[in-house]
Amino acid sequence: MAQRITIDPITRLEGHGKIEIFLNDEGDVANTYFQIPELRGFERFCVGRPVEEMPLLTNRICGVCPEAHHMAAAKAVDAVYHVEVPQAGKKLRELLYSAFYCTDHTTHFYALGGPDFILGPDAPVAERNILGVIHKVGLEIGGKVIQMRKYGHTVVEIIGGRKVHPCTSIPGGLTKGITEEQRKEIEQMGRWAIEFAQFSLKAFNDIVLSNKTYLDLIVGDVYTHKTYYMGLVDANNKVNFYDGKVRVVGPDGKEYVKYAPNEYTQNIAEHVEPWTYLKFPYLKNVGWKGLVDGPDSGIYMATPLSRLNAADGMATPLAQEEYDKMFKTLGGKPVHQRLAIHWARLVELLYAAERWVELATDPEITSPDYHAIPTATPTEGVGIVEAPRGTLTHHYWTDERGVVTKVNLVVGTTNNNAPITMSIKKAADSLIKKGNVNQGLLNMVEMAFRAYDPCFGCATHSLPGQMPLEVTVRDADGNPVQVLKQYVD
Amino acid sequence: MKTLVIGLGNPILGDDGVGWRVAEEVARQTVNDPAVEVDCVSLGGLSLMERLTGAERVVLIDAIFTGTKPLGTLSHFTLDHLPDLSAGHSASAHDTSLRNALNVGRSMDIPLPDDKDVLIVAIETHHVYDFTQELSAPVAAALPQAVALVLDSLNHQ
Repeated sequence: MAQRITIDPITRLEGHGKIEIFLNDEGDVANTYFQIPELRGFERFCVGRPVEEMPLLTNRICGVCPEAHHMAAAKAVDAVYHVEVPQAGKKLRELLYSAFYCTDHTTHFYALGGPDFILGPDAPVAERNILGVIHKVGLEIGGKVIQMRKYGHTVVEIIGGRKVHPCTSIPGGLTKGITEEQRKEIEQMGRWAIEFAQFSLKAFNDIVLSNKTYLDLIVGDVYTHKTYYMGLVDANNKVNFYDGKVRVVGPDGKEYVKYAPNEYTQNIAEHVEPWTYLKFPYLKNVGWKGLVDGPDSGIYMATPLSRLNAADGMATPLAQEEYDKMFKTLGGKPVHQRLAIHWARLVELLYAAERWVELATDPEITSPDYHAIPTATPTEGVGIVEAPRGTLTHHYWTDERGVVTKVNLVVGTTNNNAPITMSIKKAADSLIKKGNVNQGLLNMVEMAFRAYDPCFGCATHSLPGQMPLEVTVRDADGNPVQVLKQYVD
Repeated sequence: MKTLVIGLGNPILGDDGVGWRVAEEVARQTVNDPAVEVDCVSLGGLSLMERLTGAERVVLIDAIFTGTKPLGTLSHFTLDHLPDLSAGHSASAHDTSLRNALNVGRSMDIPLPDDKDVLIVAIETHHVYDFTQELSAPVAAALPQAVALVLDSLNHQ
């Protein structure tokens, strides 16, 4: 008797991500499907608007990383207008972006990913959140998290004109620069951020790495997939969040390809499955071989861990030390274990804080030369940045007046659609045997989700605070025979 | 006592933008009232908690989906009566729930309003998957009533 299991994160408004697990006649996992709600009509919404509105419009697509959409859009618009942003403009944007990264990675580690480790994956679900972390580790940690977020938001506001939804990037640069007084304030906050990142890595070391159970969980096989890895790198092949070329390494860790943003269509194709509207991007020249890993399958991952795998190192000294330590502990490059994404995120947090200070102390950062007036006729352009959750691509086409005629976006979660589906299948494989569904399934699936941190709707919509999951085991006729629930009132 | 009125939602995602539309009208009608501050944001969880810092009394206006009420139905309740975690733009999958975030903030001695001093004005919506700046007709029709409800709450502190 074939069975169907549905894991259903019940949400409020936007529909919900949903996992379907189909069992074969033996009661073992045949297939898993991961579906997320479709938000329709974004391209239609954009067509006919002046392209310079895109950095403002696209930061309303996502409630989680508006800054990332703002930056990808800004770069795409620069490309549409064939204008080169002056160095001071680039540095200001990257400074804003570094501060945003510190806020985002901090929130993810302490509010979302960390609780599984700090409180333990078996802790009651009601405690596995940031409040539980504070109760366990102490009030001091909560104060630091709030302070880090405040500093990050403040820098975004100073350079971006507004908290969370910046509005200062225009074709050719920014609408304003910063004063020496503001620079000093930003530098001071950045120095605090470096200390905070070091504190976070120490907490991870003390609480997670020194606990054999947790370390075994990270290096275990359940979330291991030998795929390709993608990330932006600078001219020295070091991780960069704002600019550079896209580098892809193979499952063996060697460079497979490195390409400029406007060459993405020659390297990335999208596979379509009939059961989901969400596409599966893959490496075009390797090919789509189904939801499998290995060097012959074009599936790649784009996450903090991917960026560290795809680069030769970090561009700042303290982060480089942590980079070396991570790969040494986990057995060298590349690291295929998905739960190591959490560790990679903290290495990136330290890099972002160091870069913040580097840029804040750059003599050019207060230069009034932060904007170049575009003079060429607008046509078409691609902008790529690393969003915290993965490589983010914006591609716009316009008419000669700069009015949008076509839009294509490849967002972080879409990149990781195939790996997420594979992780869910592997977790399900290990926990469903002969029709018996282990109660730990929900938690294992949730931990996989948390590592990738998918943006379900990539919209300003919000989901409930704890990801509610409901698993329904169905028989061949679709009748529910077993229901598992978590976080569902 | 000063009141912070906040429209929540995504202004380009159809009926999800209703909170902004109500707040914008409330702003127009209270422009000379120093006891009222109005803002429109797309925030949840910790970020929303941070926005509420220092406020003594708050009105949150948002789209809600109960699935049990006709489109455009207006409801209001205080945060301590929030029907369940999945109501209101109070949380994010990448963050934590608003009530949890407020508790985090209070434990840090951040000045925040009590749950009972956070009034939620909610408008039942269904059409929130399509990018558009237009509201559906039943939700648009609820605007005057929603604005009146918010203004009324400001007058009965």
